[in-house]
Amino acid sequence: MSTTVIPAQALPVLLTGPKAPLWWAFVLLLGIESVVFGGLITSYFYLKQASSNWPPAGLDHPELLLPTLNTLVLIASSAAMFYGDRSIKRGSQTGLKIGQTTALVLALVFLTVKYIEYSGLPYDWSTHAYGSMVWTMSGFHAAHVMTVVLKGLVVEALVWKGYFTPQRRLGVQVNGLYWHFVVVVWIPLYFTIYWSPRLF
Amino acid sequence: MTEFVVAEARAAAAPTSERLWRTWDTPPGIIGWFSAVNHRVVGLRFIVTALLFFLIGGLEALAMRTQLARPEAGLIPPELYNQIMTMHGTTMMFFFAVPVMEGLGIYFVPLMLGARDMPFPRMNALGYWIYVIAGVTLYWGFLTGQAPEAGWTAYPPLSQQEYLPGLGMDIWATAITFLEISALLAAVELVVLILKQRAPGMSVNRMPLFVWAILVMSFMIIFAMPAVMLGSVMLALDRLVDANFFDPSAGGHPLLFQHLFWFFGHPEVYIIFVPALGIVSSVLPAFVRREIVGYTALAVATVLIGFVSFGLWVHHMFTTGVPLLGAGFFAAASTIIAIPSGIQIFAWLATIWSARRIVWSTPLLFVIGFVILFTLGGITGVMVASVPLDWQVHDTYFVVAHFHYVLIGGAVFPLFAALYYWFPKVTGRMLDERLGKWNFWLMFIGFNIAFYPMHHLGFAGMPRRIYTYLPGTGWQDLNLLATIGAFLIALSAAFFLLNVVRSLRNGAVAGNNPWGAPTLEWATPSPPPPYNFAAIPSVRSRDPLWSQAELADAEPGAGDPPHPDAEPLVVELRDDRRETVGTSTLDGVPESRIVLTTPSLWPLLVALAIGLTFIGAMVTLWLVPVGAFLTFVGLAAWHWPSNRGYEL
Ligand code: HEM
Ligand SMILES: [Cu+2]
Repeated sequence: MSTTVIPAQALPVLLTGPKAPLWWAFVLLLGIESVVFGGLITSYFYLKQASSNWPPAGLDHPELLLPTLNTLVLIASSAAMFYGDRSIKRGSQTGLKIGQTTALVLALVFLTVKYIEYSGLPYDWSTHAYGSMVWTMSGFHAAHVMTVVLKGLVVEALVWKGYFTPQRRLGVQVNGLYWHFVVVVWIPLYFTIYWSPRLF
Repeated sequence: MTEFVVAEARAAAAPTSERLWRTWDTPPGIIGWFSAVNHRVVGLRFIVTALLFFLIGGLEALAMRTQLARPEAGLIPPELYNQIMTMHGTTMMFFFAVPVMEGLGIYFVPLMLGARDMPFPRMNALGYWIYVIAGVTLYWGFLTGQAPEAGWTAYPPLSQQEYLPGLGMDIWATAITFLEISALLAAVELVVLILKQRAPGMSVNRMPLFVWAILVMSFMIIFAMPAVMLGSVMLALDRLVDANFFDPSAGGHPLLFQHLFWFFGHPEVYIIFVPALGIVSSVLPAFVRREIVGYTALAVATVLIGFVSFGLWVHHMFTTGVPLLGAGFFAAASTIIAIPSGIQIFAWLATIWSARRIVWSTPLLFVIGFVILFTLGGITGVMVASVPLDWQVHDTYFVVAHFHYVLIGGAVFPLFAALYYWFPKVTGRMLDERLGKWNFWLMFIGFNIAFYPMHHLGFAGMPRRIYTYLPGTGWQDLNLLATIGAFLIALSAAFFLLNVVRSLRNGAVAGNNPWGAPTLEWATPSPPPPYNFAAIPSVRSRDPLWSQAELADAEPGAGDPPHPDAEPLVVELRDDRRETVGTSTLDGVPESRIVLTTPSLWPLLVALAIGLTFIGAMVTLWLVPVGAFLTFVGLAAWHWPSNRGYEL
């Protein structure tokens, strides 16, 4: 019988996809984050069912128009991100630059609108439990948007240095995945905060 | 002294390994010490630090038992008692039991898998530093008179600002939130390690049961810890910025905290206990000289325990007025967990029953002690799972007896089995058997004297969390007995320490495989070289060292040719950078080389920055953005691509 030898060069150094450790770590990170966001939404509804007036008496239903437009802005940033990643996959540095930069700008618009929206609210976290919940959910999510913006700036710097190539684009990819997650997770939060008081 | 053993091992390694050694060695000096990332360095630090916390928590227990030895003892005033009790529970659960199991996983799982290191070594180091900073913060508060005093469960309203002003509870809430980041990092790392870095040929159904257990523990951490983080963050927000999550007068609800806490808290007990199950299943075969009975049943039962334990949390809340129908559901679910636990017990009994030969060494004694005590704790567990009985004994010493039987019987006894079993691998020296037997018997007898009477005290109506009691209650004899037992446990711990110190000085030299055990960690020298395995072993059975001659005979590292009747698979790796083999998730087929990161100071610096974010929040909220920004800068520097060309 013989010994099978796999020489070092025969095995690739994998950087992406389900064969790479980083991909798994990333999925698990998203799992953790999902539990946290899920816990926030569950807490919201727990307090809602335990309370006889939620949102508290005297408060109108949350305004819909501005947050809805803002949600669309956030979704658009995800599309821009996707476009950038697809461009570099095909070797287009310009496409990558356009995609990354647009996404960053849209995320900054989202944050600014959020700031305007929340500075106009008639209550804050210390007014009542409803306020604590809404501010925490929005604030926690906004902190995530800020994180992806900061991360995006680092990637942006590398983009302008021309660091990425069709082969070497894990940075773009991972940053993009997390970006999409932050966008997607906003949608249940959006429904909880802005629609659930109207629906039930 | 460990220096000396390492030097010995280096001399023993073949000259071809010299380059590997240089690639994998931790840099010397104080900076090197702070930048170490190798899994065995970090794992050992976790274990030693956790044992230190065990010692501290034990001293706190002795203080409480001394106060309770007789009625109306004036040793410890009520407030201080509450603080000590809270610190004991918090220390034992958060700072000892979980980290020690993570440490065992970080140290031994890569060895059992034939890997050279974990997938993200720097993340490992980051987790360790976070753990240390959280522990130092909590104890700094305690020593400066700012201790939490609402019990390890920190229920509001007691834990709210109105009732417990001062920094103590703030420190608790922030330290716990912060600490759980460390547990989550370790969990992510362990899952990825187990899924992607098993030795070639190690399909999932050949994984050692300890590895199964660590896998389940890690998944449980991932789903449970975020809940307690959420709870403790809400508590901190209520206290620090006047939020109202738990304040009923402003539409909040104190029970929300209990739900969040126990959604974590019940699995927490199993996070501690599942690795202990793995230890038992992995230690047993070496001492009964046969493979484990019911491998598949044991693995499946471990996974089931993990799942079911998430559906039990309300049994801690039977007395809070939850609807009876709900309580009934959780009572039934709680009894169901006895089934997978029972399967495990019977598989071990069958293994012992059918032993080829029983080797009565200290690890086996601790395993048998575990089986007995855990069964007793399990029985009282099934008892309190029934709602009417729980109403009677809730918050009495019956519960204190129950959970110490499960926690000490179910986790500390297996832990000691593990310490005796793996000490030779870590240090190259055997622990002494005679001192080990003293250690075991004192602990076993002391434990039962300390905690068995508490069942009766509970039935006699003694509430938990009281700093003293009146003479006429009839509780004093059993309390005195319990205190004597606690001191016997302390004595047994002293024997353990003595044993460790003596062994490090002049214990018998262990060799690669002193117990004749079947798993891969024994196929490499003790202590292993920094790269663990010079040649990555390949595996063709569940008990490779018993069935693959080339592993049992040769010292991998010496570069011996494989045994003729074997068909080993050799995967070549580069020796000038840190590489290990990546294998497929289910079948363990080699599919990539994983390039690992090198020692670095960034993990420590990032841990300090994260610490500033959390702990600074207590001083002024302005420190939160500052800390967060520093964290971000640190992380960016850590990940900034170098010209090595494989990062990012
Ligand atoms: C080494 C021997 C130990 C002794 C003598 C001991 C003794 C005690 C005592 C006297 C209490 C206070 C009961 C009360 O006032 O209500 C207590 C509480 C507790 N112990 Fe231990 N203990 C020991 C080890 C452990 C270990 C290893 C763990 C966990 C792994 C643990 C976890 C706890 C917890 C969670 C509490 C509840 C604290 C609270 O009520 O908030 N103990 N223990
Ligand atoms: Cu429980």
